[in-house]
This record gives sequence, structure tokens and C-alpha cells, in this order.
Amino acid sequence: MSTTKNGRTNVREPIKYADALKEATEQLLVSDPRVLVLGLGVPQGTGGVGSLAQIYPNRVLDMPTSEAALTGLAVGASIGGLRPIVFHDRVEFSLLASDQMFTQAAKWRYMFGGNGGSAPVTLRIVVGRQWGNGPQHSQAFYGMFGGVMGLRVVIPSSPYTAKGLLIAAVRADDPVVMLEPRWLYGVKEQVPEELYEVSLNKARIIKKGSDITVVSYGDALFAARQALELIGDTTRVELIDLVSLNPIDHKTISASLKKTRRLLTVDTTSSAFSVGSEVIAKAVQGGVEFMVTPQSLACPDVPCPTSSALSEFWYPTKVNVANAILNILNKPKIDTKLTFEELHMAPTVTL
Amino acid sequence: MAYLKKDMIDFHKAYSHMLRLRVAQEELVKHYLNKKVFSMVHFYIGQEAVATGVCDALKVDDQVMGTHRSHGHYLAKGGSFRMLAAELFGRVTGSAHGKGGSMHQVDRSVNFTGSSPLLGSAVPIATGVAFAQKYLGKPGVVAVFYGDGASEEGVVYETYNLAALRKVPILFVLENNQWSINSPIKNRRSQGYNLEKIATGLGVKYEHADGNDYEDVYTKTVKLVGSIRKGGGPAVLECLVYRHMAHSTPLMEEKHRTGDVLEERLKKDPLKKLKIKIVMSGVLEKKLAKEEENLRQKICTDIAWALEQPYPSKEELYTNVYN
Ligand SMILES: Cc1ncc(C[n+]2csc(CCOP(=O)(O)OP(=O)(O)O)c2C)c(N)n1
Repeated sequence: MSTTKNGRTNVREPIKYADALKEATEQLLVSDPRVLVLGLGVPQGTGGVGSLAQIYPNRVLDMPTSEAALTGLAVGASIGGLRPIVFHDRVEFSLLASDQMFTQAAKWRYMFGGNGGSAPVTLRIVVGRQWGNGPQHSQAFYGMFGGVMGLRVVIPSSPYTAKGLLIAAVRADDPVVMLEPRWLYGVKEQVPEELYEVSLNKARIIKKGSDITVVSYGDALFAARQALELIGDTTRVELIDLVSLNPIDHKTISASLKKTRRLLTVDTTSSAFSVGSEVIAKAVQGGVEFMVTPQSLACPDVPCPTSSALSEFWYPTKVNVANAILNILNKPKIDTKLTFEELHMAPTVTL
Repeated sequence: MAYLKKDMIDFHKAYSHMLRLRVAQEELVKHYLNKKVFSMVHFYIGQEAVATGVCDALKVDDQVMGTHRSHGHYLAKGGSFRMLAAELFGRVTGSAHGKGGSMHQVDRSVNFTGSSPLLGSAVPIATGVAFAQKYLGKPGVVAVFYGDGASEEGVVYETYNLAALRKVPILFVLENNQWSINSPIKNRRSQGYNLEKIATGLGVKYEHADGNDYEDVYTKTVKLVGSIRKGGGPAVLECLVYRHMAHSTPLMEEKHRTGDVLEERLKKDPLKKLKIKIVMSGVLEKKLAKEEENLRQKICTDIAWALEQPYPSKEELYTNVYN
């Protein structure tokens, strides 16, 4: 919503996650001459900001198929005073630039004791599920990114957070990696028209509740939202969107756990080294007296397969999440069959 | 099956090889459009002369590796079509038990060693396979296919150097279709870019071939592979080609292509070119039509078989991770 000059309130139509990112990009280009966008195919539409190349042909740039060099160039440009946004269409592609992300940009401020400035580059990196993409095209590496000190890592779970996080990322004086689950690109939500920031290091309480804390992020959080719809009466569930993996906002989580003393984490990556494991470990170390052993719902510890007959069993569904919650609350399971579309096709719902 | 001399090329046979790739993919396209293929696909239609020209010039012992667009490379090396089809349909009897899909072709029984969609990644791997071959004193060479996009990855340039340094028996087959998804080559390279100078500057031999012309690809491969086999070190064969369809869908028209429009691409269709040649040499068009019909029938039978195959069971999720 926004207010017009004559005081009337305009209700904007909900917009897609991808369009929220485009809107943020356009407003950043308008408001800050240091901002530019680069990546393979970006002016032709990769990353969803292609039409901006017509308005800003010198600021929305195509690149050779050379992730290491183009990311390094952006890191350097950020050290040199620009605010580049790099787009990588899959996380696997970005890994060709691991040195530039993890070892160069992430360490630039620290390794010179603050005397070398910083590398305030923003990396938009697409992660996760998409039908038929399998072992080499649908990884997420959340845990790995979260483990890189010096990098800020955020995961938008909605159009609102997508827009606000991108703006905050570009304005931040640190390198920020934004991991964007492709699964969410079609999800819609009402988003403020103006430039606004969403905090890069705060978790968000999506829904208040009394008896169980569900901690999640990205497309797993989307499954958790849908699980709440399945459960119906959800006054007992507190749902937290982590938003940031580095740092993780343990304060918000522990405040919630003090009240609920029950915890479920939901990931859409393998269980081993999952974000959920980190959240649970820190909660236990923090001395929460749990009423029920904390549970983590995640993917199996095997690569993600291509055949839909197999990937069907790889990702936790909304039914799995609902049942994990009900189990902790000691309530009977629900049994809902999901359609092929629900299991394999990216959602287009409005939040 | 390398022919010894240029004038000994059996063009009719070559045409049948190419036609197998074309018809197989045309039939797969139909099933993709009918939503039977739940795997990300990249069709090879239009580039058949390269895979066929190169693989026909190789021996059984020689190995081949590829990319995200490797249906053609796999079939040209003799890979089983019905297993490819089953793989695209996500079935357990597919060449990768449904775990891989279109971008992960493999048939080690015919020395198609594997393919990966990560651009450039197969180039050093194939070089390593060739290195092992030489190290173990085995006879075969390795051919690795990759595109103009992939050839811009740093690791590819690094591999040219390494392969030359170690005199690795590898043929780098660069299929230049001038696009990296939607990015035209002019967006990606300076006007002064000259791969021949780069490759030869690194000590790698370089040849340029017309990728729409089977004979050109074949004869140049014979020449380069002959030298590689004798220990002459690696070579790049850059083939100029057109992909007829969009990057990863069977779409024929893409509005962002200029110059390289469908009409131009079809004019240079490698199959058309070869067909004219064999008809001129006296093979009856009717005979060719009959052969094509038989081939299509066989392909359709294989697809029908593949569609009958069972899906992998849930337990398959946990197999093949480790030994
Ligand atoms: C390392 C890496 N970066 C980006 C991609 C995304 N991608 C897939 S295919 C493709 C185009 C590759 O062009 P080219 O190598 O010429 O092969 P073609 O698709 O034209 O056959 C791109 C950019 C990728 N698969 N791997």
C-alpha cells in the first residue's frame, strides 16, 4: 500500500517474487549511479531484469561465459567504488567463482584490518529445486555459504523480503550473497512501491504461537506456511523465517523457544550439515529446556536425482511438515495425497 | 570405422548415421511437447554433422565426452537409443537409472564416457581420461565436445596449456553455434578475439571446420586424430554450426536472433547437404525415403518400449552414492 498526494490509499496488486527483484533493481539503478547489473544473458532476460537494459544499456551488462572472471571483475569494481549486482543463474555456476566470493570478497575488509576498504558487491545466486534438473543443477549449498566468515548471506522467502533484502544488500558496505530459491519466483505478494530495506541480519516472526517454534527459510519456509494451512488451527505454532544465514539471529529464536520449548527446523537441502542442525545445536548449547527433542526435517543425505519418480521423495512436502509439527504436538497425523503439480511444479500462489 | 582416404567416405552410410540423430530427436521433441520428458533438455538438431563426422573418424577404443547438449554425441558414438529415451522419461532402465536425465549421457560399453552440463568442466576431465589412457599405455584417444560458451571458461584455456605440456592424446571439439543461451558471441568477445592464435600460442594444434559439412568435419578429424595418435599432442577442431532450436526447448523461432534466423539455418542444414550429394551420386530418393521410414519406425518402437519401462523405486534414491 502507498499513500497518494491527496491522501487516498492505493492498493497495489500483488506482484511476483521475480518482479519484486526487478522493481528493486530498477529503483536502485535510478537512485544510485554506482549501481550496475552484470551476468551472462542479463540484458536478454536472465535474472528477470532484461527490460532495464533498454533504459540503462551501459549499466545492465552481458558477460562472457566466464563466471570466475566476471565475479572477480565485480568484486574489484566494488572495491573501486561501484555497487555491482552480479547474477548467477544457478549456484553451481557461481562456484566457478568460489575464490572470488569466499576467499577474496569475504575477507577483503578483515585481511587488511579495515584499511583496505571492503568489497560491497551483491551476488544474486539462484538455488534449489526445479523439475528435471537433478544432481548438478539443483543444489543449494546453504550450509556452505553460511560457513563463510565475512560474507553476509540472505535468503528471501517472499516478494516482500526479496525486494527489501536486495535494496539492503546493495546499500550495505559488505559483500552480500542473496540465495534465491527458483521455486519461489512465481509466488506473489503485495509489496510497497517505494524503496525500503529489510534487515540483513534479523529473523522475522511470520506468525506468533505458543507451543512450538518452527524455524525455516526460503522455499522450505513456503512449505511450512502451507503446512499451517493444512493443520488449520495453528494458534500453537510460531513460525520464524531465518532470513539470514550469516549471521543467524539466534536471539529471536531463543526468545521464541523460551516460550514454546519445542522446535522443528525445515530445510530443503540434505540433513547433514543443514541449517537446521546449526539452529538446533545452538539452541541446545543455549540451555533451552526442551519438552520434546528438537526435530529437523530435511532432504535425504544423497544427491538430488532427476527423475520425478525419485525427486518426489527428496523434498519435504507441506504434508511432511504438517505431520512433523503434529507429531511434536502429540496430535494425530493427517493423510493428504498431493498431486503431480503440487509435488513438482513451482507454486504461483499469492501469500 | 575411420575410412582411409577422403574419396573412400561412404556418404550414404554417413547420411544414415546423421539421420538417426535427427529422427531420434524429432521423435523425442514430440514427447517433450506432450510433457512426457521430465528432464531439462537441449536438442542437438542442426549440429549432427559434427558429432557424426567426429565419431565416424574415431575407433571403438577411443572415448568421447560431452555436455548438456549430448544426445547427438552419445548416439554418434553408438549409444543405445532406447536407454537414452528411457532416461529422458525418468525410467529405471535408462542409461543412468533415471538419476541423470538428458544432461547426463553415458554408455561406457561404447566408450561414451560421460557428459556434464557444467560448462567447460568436461574439458579437463576428458583430458584426464586421455592422460590415463597414455599413462597406462592404452591405444585410444579422447574427443571432448563443448560449445563456444563453454570455451570461455578459464579452465578450458588452462586445459589447453596442460594438455599441450603433457602431450595428452585429446581432441577438443569446439562446436561454435554462436550462442550461449541468449547471449550472442558479439556480446561476449572482443573483435580481436582469435582462438586459433590462442590455441596455437599455447602449443595446441588448431583446425577450423564447416560444422554443416560432414565431409569437412570428418576429414579434418581424421587428420588431427592421426597426429594425436602418433603422439603429436592435442588439437582443437572448431566447427561452425547452427542449433536449429531454442537453447533448451524445441522452439524454432526466437525473436532475439538476427542474421542467424531459422531460414538461414535451414538453408545450411547438414542433412540436406549430404542428401543432395548422395542423390547426385545415384542413390534413389525413393530408397532414402523408405530407409527414413524404417528408421523412424524403429525409433518409435524404442520410444514405445521406453514408455513402458518402470520408474525407479524409492530405494533407488539411496543407491550409487558410494560403493
Ligand atoms: C559453468 C556454467 N555456467 C553457466 C551455465 C548455464 N548454461 C547452460 S548451457 C549454456 C550455454 C552454453 O553455450 P555453449 O557452451 O556454446 O553450448 P550450447 O548450449 O550453445 O550448445 C549456459 C550459459 C552452465 N551450465 N555452466
